[in-house]
Amino acid sequence: MSKEQEFTRIIKDNQGVIFKITAIYTNSREDQEDLYQEVVYQLWRAFDSFRGDSKISTWMYRVALNTAISRLKKEKRRGNQIGIDKIITFQSEQYDTQFEDRLKIVYAHIKKLNEIEKGLMLLLLEGKKYEEIATITGLSPSNVGTRISRIKQKLKKQIIK
Amino acid sequence: MELEEMQSIWSELSDQLEKQKKLTDKMIIMMTQEKYRKKINKVAYPETIGAIICYSAVAVILFNIQKLDTWYNLLAGVLCVLILIILPMVSLKFLYGIRNIDIANNSFKETLLNYAKRKKRFQKSMKWSYYLGFILMFAIMPVTAKIVNDKDIFLGVNSTWTLVTAIPLAILFFIVFSKWTMKWYSKNVNSAESLIKDLEESGL
Repeated sequence: MSKEQEFTRIIKDNQGVIFKITAIYTNSREDQEDLYQEVVYQLWRAFDSFRGDSKISTWMYRVALNTAISRLKKEKRRGNQIGIDKIITFQSEQYDTQFEDRLKIVYAHIKKLNEIEKGLMLLLLEGKKYEEIATITGLSPSNVGTRISRIKQKLKKQIIK
Repeated sequence: MELEEMQSIWSELSDQLEKQKKLTDKMIIMMTQEKYRKKINKVAYPETIGAIICYSAVAVILFNIQKLDTWYNLLAGVLCVLILIILPMVSLKFLYGIRNIDIANNSFKETLLNYAKRKKRFQKSMKWSYYLGFILMFAIMPVTAKIVNDKDIFLGVNSTWTLVTAIPLAILFFIVFSKWTMKWYSKNVNSAESLIKDLEESGL
């Protein structure tokens, strides 16, 4: 299998992951599409340096999150609006508006968190264990635990408000 | 919304995305090509155009430097050249620095730290850029008048009334402008600083 074939296979397998990361770090459909392209581009550039020392998903989360936080963007738009009209990227016939509304609430909660917390929250929602979150983020597992507890408290406060 | 409920919605989202895979090999290969990176170009456009304008102005001033035949006009010309060289360098250095962050090998924490530090430096230097821009606004006037019309505006002021009104107005404008700039940039620098502090403490 050629390098291009291997790469496209990996991206196809993980396109949902890239979508979710780009959705939490952007406020509009256009920004998300730009970031999506940038993530794929950075993954391609980093593909040679991936030696299989870590899991492909760990590598992918790291590069995608790094791209999301260090991208060059225009000043943030005001507020926490979710400009993505239809959050699920590739709309199908079975479009569920109820699910869409619930998902918007999830995004609204995540978007109230700061940059590092957003990343941690995403990895937590993705079902990653503290050790893997620590590998991706470069934080210690105990620090990951502390920060996640803080996030949970923040979420509770948001619910009370 | 409780975390468990969020996790369940997230898992449903993952399932739906899994079913809706639409990316083709061609689309992926296109995304790996530089020419499709619209965003980077869009953000860098104003910076690049600004730099071209500034350096063209430097070239015009240097080419006509002999026309600045008095010490004050020459001083204003030198000041303009220096400011016009420094201003674009500040933003271009930041853009270049951000592109050089090692996205492939850095951890999330390292990238955040790196980005926040560069941003803090950039915000601080931008504050000075605004002040320099303000000085440029005044320095460029006698230089332009001399180069374009061969007119010495300092000699052209024949009434003290112009100076009496213009100088206080300029100072007032500068005070209001500086306060606004300080407020805006301090807020950004503080947020970058708190992130740096938070991340550095977590490394202990």
